[in-house]
Amino acid sequence: MIRPIPKLAWKGVIKRFEGRAVLDDLDLSVAPGQSLVIIGGSGQGKSVTIKTALGLMRPEAGRIELDGRDVVGLSEGARRKLFSRVGVLFQGAALFDSLTVWENVAFRLINADGVPRKQARERAIEALDQVRLAPTVAHRFPSELSGGMQKRAGLARAVVGRPEILFFDEPTTGLDPITAAAINALIIDQVKRLGCTAVSITHDLASARTIGDEIAMLHDGRIHWRGSAEDLSHADDPNVRRFVDAAGLSPVDVRAREIV
Amino acid sequence: MSKMNQGGLEVGAGLVVLALSGAFLAYGLEAAGPAGSSRGYDLTAKFGEAGSLAPGAAVSVAGVKVGTVAQITLDPKTYMAVARLSINPNVKLPADSTAKITSDSLLGGAHVSIAPGAAMDDIKPGSEIDNTQGAVDIFGLIGSAIRPQAPAATPAPSTSTPAESD
Amino acid sequence: MTATQAARAVAARPIRSLGRSTLAVVRTVGAVGVFAVRGVAAALTPRWFPNQLRRQLVTIGFFSLPVVGLTAVFTGAALALNIFTGGGRFNAEQVMPQIVALGITRELGPVLAALMLAGRVSAAIAAEIGAMRATEQIDAMRTLSTDPFRYLVAPRLLAATIMLPLLTVVADLIGVAGGWLVAVRVLGFNPIVYIRNTAAFLQAWDVGSGLIKAAVFGFIVALMGCYHGYNASGGARGVGRATTHAVVSSAILIFASDYLLTTVFTHAS
Repeated sequence: MIRPIPKLAWKGVIKRFEGRAVLDDLDLSVAPGQSLVIIGGSGQGKSVTIKTALGLMRPEAGRIELDGRDVVGLSEGARRKLFSRVGVLFQGAALFDSLTVWENVAFRLINADGVPRKQARERAIEALDQVRLAPTVAHRFPSELSGGMQKRAGLARAVVGRPEILFFDEPTTGLDPITAAAINALIIDQVKRLGCTAVSITHDLASARTIGDEIAMLHDGRIHWRGSAEDLSHADDPNVRRFVDAAGLSPVDVRAREIV
Repeated sequence: MSKMNQGGLEVGAGLVVLALSGAFLAYGLEAAGPAGSSRGYDLTAKFGEAGSLAPGAAVSVAGVKVGTVAQITLDPKTYMAVARLSINPNVKLPADSTAKITSDSLLGGAHVSIAPGAAMDDIKPGSEIDNTQGAVDIFGLIGSAIRPQAPAATPAPSTSTPAESD
Repeated sequence: MTATQAARAVAARPIRSLGRSTLAVVRTVGAVGVFAVRGVAAALTPRWFPNQLRRQLVTIGFFSLPVVGLTAVFTGAALALNIFTGGGRFNAEQVMPQIVALGITRELGPVLAALMLAGRVSAAIAAEIGAMRATEQIDAMRTLSTDPFRYLVAPRLLAATIMLPLLTVVADLIGVAGGWLVAVRVLGFNPIVYIRNTAAFLQAWDVGSGLIKAAVFGFIVALMGCYHGYNASGGARGVGRATTHAVVSSAILIFASDYLLTTVFTHAS
């Protein structure tokens, strides 16, 4: 069977911090158009996984392939071209404090693509509308927005350039359940609308189940389990079990809670 | 709100600083340029030695400033320093007054001190003060005192200029 | 472990830590050097961000005027009093205007303006860029296909290098004015003569060498702010640390380069 080239693949990736291998021979791939969610405990290296793929961190060993081509160690210029195909929603949205919301959303258009300001503003307001933010928000500053609104603005900024891959770093962390659900819905909506590939990391299982076609568990620097959202509930990998149980509503083993 | 007011205050302060430095620059350029007074009448005085007297220096009578030195030039025929003095129009000087170049300290502060004479008539504006005494060359004096056999370094400092025939 | 081995291990400790510190210093110097080269390359080659440059020119230049003006006027006045006192011991009070002008244009104008900027601008840059680093805004900028060196660092380097000489001109003027005020009001100097003596005495190179120094100092101030902010780590505390390091390292480098440049300029004239 000929397998189609994955949109994004980590092959044997090793990343160390102060001697400790945060990513230890990581092998993972995402098919085009798929939504993959990486789950795992805090400090297990989920952020690092995304950052190595983005080139914000450089792995000690391994390949990371985008459409089959290795992107580790690219020159700044080549990487900038790569970034034009990618959208990222950072934890905390990472909006630029000194710019208005629409200038944030249109940042790529104005500064990298050379789109004139008027046009860029129109596209920004459109994108804000996509994430259900009113045009009045466009001229406010990020510090005037609530956490949920900031995340939505960050999402608008990530999708305004019609990316091929979207990365979500803890999209619902720190949000109340209602806002979290709204963000989840927006993520699904945008991914479907753009038809893009999505890679998310989270430790919010409910969110993972909602937005992910597939879920992979990262533990000790490698993938311990991979399957669909339904398979998660009856996985037999002990790490997955502990994670699911700790997050679930069923009575929890105290020892398991401490470990996770 | 308060951020905006603070911004306005900062802009104002910056403008004030620029204005002050510009004002001082303008004043300095004017002061450093050719000296001259719009008011006041001119008198001339010829000295054998001008010393460190410079335009802008004060002209005083009994220690009170009555004018400024407007210009110092060299008389090509007599090789004397010709000082043009700009005097306060309210101050009238007797015709036989003496102008002396004196200084506040050993190393500078040269200015013109006028000792009024006893004549009944006043000096007319534009005319010359006949009795003058030039600047004293301290180091020359010390030198000639230490080494009296050496030729005098400077001519005798005191000169009175009788009416000259040009 | 035998007694000799144990003794050797103890003796080696200070040497080892000295070696480690030296290596750390060398590594930092290298890192700053690499950062500086990247910054200069970004500043001198397209692509530029003129809006950002304009903002920085105003922030660094215009809004530093009050603090520079205040510093200059008080320094000029105090210097005049002190030089007058010193000159009085040689009966040479009358040369005070010239000495004061020389001191201000060659040394105090550029150095004090730079130190004020080190405290104000270097700290602000480190805090702003450090906070951006801490909240992943710099990573975000890169993913938006924009080079943070071109958008953040280059405008600040250029603005500080351009603005500090201009601020020094203001500092020179206001410093001399401060000395002049004291001389005329308190010490009884003739105001016109003071100006004329100053103007006649000052040479173009006195002012020019001060401006060259100022350009170097401006570059240092911005570089330290950008470097420490860009490499801030550890959340809010890290940003605070970056700010402190920026100010201190700016000040030290200003003094060191001031001495080097003064030596060079003294031989040159």
